[in-house]
Amino acid sequence: MKEPILGAFQPPGNDQHMLGALQFLHVPMRKFTQQDEVDYLIVGIGAAGGVLLQRLARAGFNVVGLEAGPFWDTERDWVSDEAGSHELYWEDPRVTGGSDPLALGANNCGKGVGGGTVHWAAFTPRLHPSDFEVYTRDGVGVDWPINYEDIRPYYEQLELEMPVAGPAYYPWGHPHGYAYGPHPMGGVGNTLIRGCSALNIPVSIGGPVAILSGSHGDRPHCIYRGFCIQGCKVGAKASTLITHVPDALKQGAEIRDHCMVSRVELAKEGRVTGVYYFDRAGNVNFQKAKAVIISGYAIETPRLLLNSACPGFENGLANSSGTVGRYLMAQAGNVVLGRFEQPVRMYKAPPAHALTEEFYETDPKNDFARGFAIQTVGPLPIAFGKQMLASKKAWGWGLRREMMDYNHWAAFGLLGEILPWDDNRVTLADEKDRFGLPVAHVSFNLHDNDKKLIKFAKEKTMEVMAAAGATEVEQEARYAHLVGAARMGSNPATSVVDKFGRSHDIANLFVCDGSIMPTQGSANPGLTIQALAARTADYLISQGARVFQSNDRDMTTPPIRKELAPAETWGKGVPRLTGKP
Amino acid sequence: MNKSADLDFTKLPREAATGKPLEPRRTPGYYPGFSTLSQSPFWDDATRQVVTRRVDLSPAVKFFSAEEFEFWTGVFGHLVPQTDRTPDRQIPLVAPLDHRLYVNQTVGYRYDTMPQDRDAYRLGREAINKEALQQYGRDFLALPYRQQDLVLKAIHDGKPYAAQEIWGSMSVHRFWQLMMGDVIDAYYAHPWAWDEIGFGGPAYPRAYTRLENGEPEPWEVKEKRHEWLAPEAAVSHELESAAHHHTEADQHGATKEVSAKES
Repeated sequence: MKEPILGAFQPPGNDQHMLGALQFLHVPMRKFTQQDEVDYLIVGIGAAGGVLLQRLARAGFNVVGLEAGPFWDTERDWVSDEAGSHELYWEDPRVTGGSDPLALGANNCGKGVGGGTVHWAAFTPRLHPSDFEVYTRDGVGVDWPINYEDIRPYYEQLELEMPVAGPAYYPWGHPHGYAYGPHPMGGVGNTLIRGCSALNIPVSIGGPVAILSGSHGDRPHCIYRGFCIQGCKVGAKASTLITHVPDALKQGAEIRDHCMVSRVELAKEGRVTGVYYFDRAGNVNFQKAKAVIISGYAIETPRLLLNSACPGFENGLANSSGTVGRYLMAQAGNVVLGRFEQPVRMYKAPPAHALTEEFYETDPKNDFARGFAIQTVGPLPIAFGKQMLASKKAWGWGLRREMMDYNHWAAFGLLGEILPWDDNRVTLADEKDRFGLPVAHVSFNLHDNDKKLIKFAKEKTMEVMAAAGATEVEQEARYAHLVGAARMGSNPATSVVDKFGRSHDIANLFVCDGSIMPTQGSANPGLTIQALAARTADYLISQGARVFQSNDRDMTTPPIRKELAPAETWGKGVPRLTGKP
Repeated sequence: MNKSADLDFTKLPREAATGKPLEPRRTPGYYPGFSTLSQSPFWDDATRQVVTRRVDLSPAVKFFSAEEFEFWTGVFGHLVPQTDRTPDRQIPLVAPLDHRLYVNQTVGYRYDTMPQDRDAYRLGREAINKEALQQYGRDFLALPYRQQDLVLKAIHDGKPYAAQEIWGSMSVHRFWQLMMGDVIDAYYAHPWAWDEIGFGGPAYPRAYTRLENGEPEPWEVKEKRHEWLAPEAAVSHELESAAHHHTEADQHGATKEVSAKES
């Protein structure tokens, strides 16, 4: 068949094809005015902002979300194409430096409703119980102000809301299983299984990954097209654009897209009153709010706090501790490439579909603390070309020849824990962006433990690739993800926010995104960020109007409120009576 | 592209067994007859438009001067050479960069050892010409193919002889990474390059269905390998494993360039 029976596929709406987003929002979005003092204003509608917006709207609060990027029309705006997808990433200027500078942009920063969940590969492992007490256990990093049991119910709930596909038994950390079935294996997954099995390393097959392996209501199943990090046009991969934003809008939340927040306003009485922002036309606006939640991720969140410096907070809003911008973390993300005689065609299947966490915990035999995971990745041609450039110094005819062998290569990514250091930080550069706002300067430096860990992890991953039968094993050094830079803690002198995300300095200013994580483990952060957001939402809802009226800080942990989840995302399991008689 | 280049056998890849120059082809590589574009009716409309526009349109040069455009065409012709392609099937490499610089689109960050992208390309041209002058006594474009390759290899190796005043304020390794990144972006974004390497391309809404053992879809083709050598005049075929470097800064030769920035 040279083309489809009814001719080439057309955009949705012409009644010829069943194509495109199946979820139509027929409700007009509620519009608040700038004179309305809304209850909560959320800066950034990404992984955390999307969940917060949904929960707070469902609980009846008046909520507005300001998002610097667009509200996507996925069928029109997204393409199955590497070069054509650059608008999904944060491309506004930033400066990167230090002894080990981080690549930003497409590597780790989203823009637009859904934020990074639009372009994540959607691996969703949980943190391990040990992650919350690395200082107590190993004398490195810092302990969290919460423990695994505090976040566990939110992991369980968010895994259902995305939902997460994975094996029935997941053996690491706190062992658990997944309600949604695992994915079939692609070529890279099979390679990882082969290599791990040869070395007696347990491996998780088919997840955990927030991509539908089967149909789910009116959301379609994965079609294994491989363009996960270019945005899932299919709708099989979870993003808050699909999972939480529609419910938020139905519940009366408002999202203003193309709105860049420039500063958070502090009143004399020490409480924030709203935010200034540039709208789509470039005009300056002020939106009044009773409380503000910043969910701009690990670079834009500290940048906004630093750009909001004012009398009383000369070094940045909520920065009496001096830790805003500090303890920024990325994970080691070295990509190990193996060439095989038999073709692999690694562009088929989601990049994320198998992993091992066998090396996650501190091993006393090693000369470093903490550990790493090994995961599948599936670079498309442009990404693979840059890996050949880095790993084999390929250019010219050498590059052309290596690329002709694209289908013979498989790729694993290690995910290694880099510890929080106070010299890894976000500051303001002299350079300004198109709004006249100082841009972020990111300084990143590896320390001794980090370097030892990366070396060991890289060599182990290369060993697995060789054990899988690769005739050649190469490696590209790089980093993945970003967290920290506005960390949570019990001590106001050494952290920015408390265990619920409330800033120590200002009672009605909250931070909720990856930047509040004190350490990062070797798990992809997306699930943890969303779980933390749902937990903060439960806290805010339990506090009711007190957040708006009082500076009192109630540290009581509320119970999880599952009934605030989007409809149909819980309550279908085998009945088990757990209440007291 | 310089059409006379095709007549020079020293610039053509060779058959491994005989050493004979290989005739330029419409689609080099190991997947004879494969065409991703032939599948475009099965792609969604937005994707089809983006990809076909890339093939059909040749946008006017807006950022570079005619001299600059010619210069970068010459340089990029070594970074990703295309003398094995028939002239009608050579992929524009400088036009996408010209557009990127014209609209001032970036990747979302700049190393603090680097100037802005526009300045980097201006300084890069100056430095490459100085390297050519110092090593071979002529501007880059006036040199024979092999010497051009060798000038660029000095940048690739991070060991340029000339223009120390430029490389003192611009990281030679990060400049190489920038330039190679742009040329890889241009070449491997093109469906003709996908045909060459056997990449199936867009598959929404139809899906990929054969996930295991590298099996082709019914509309893909099986690999048919042939052995070949790089052109006689080229030195760019040499590879060097950088797997022993375990950090990004080491691998890109940037370890000693510690940021001076401290607030």
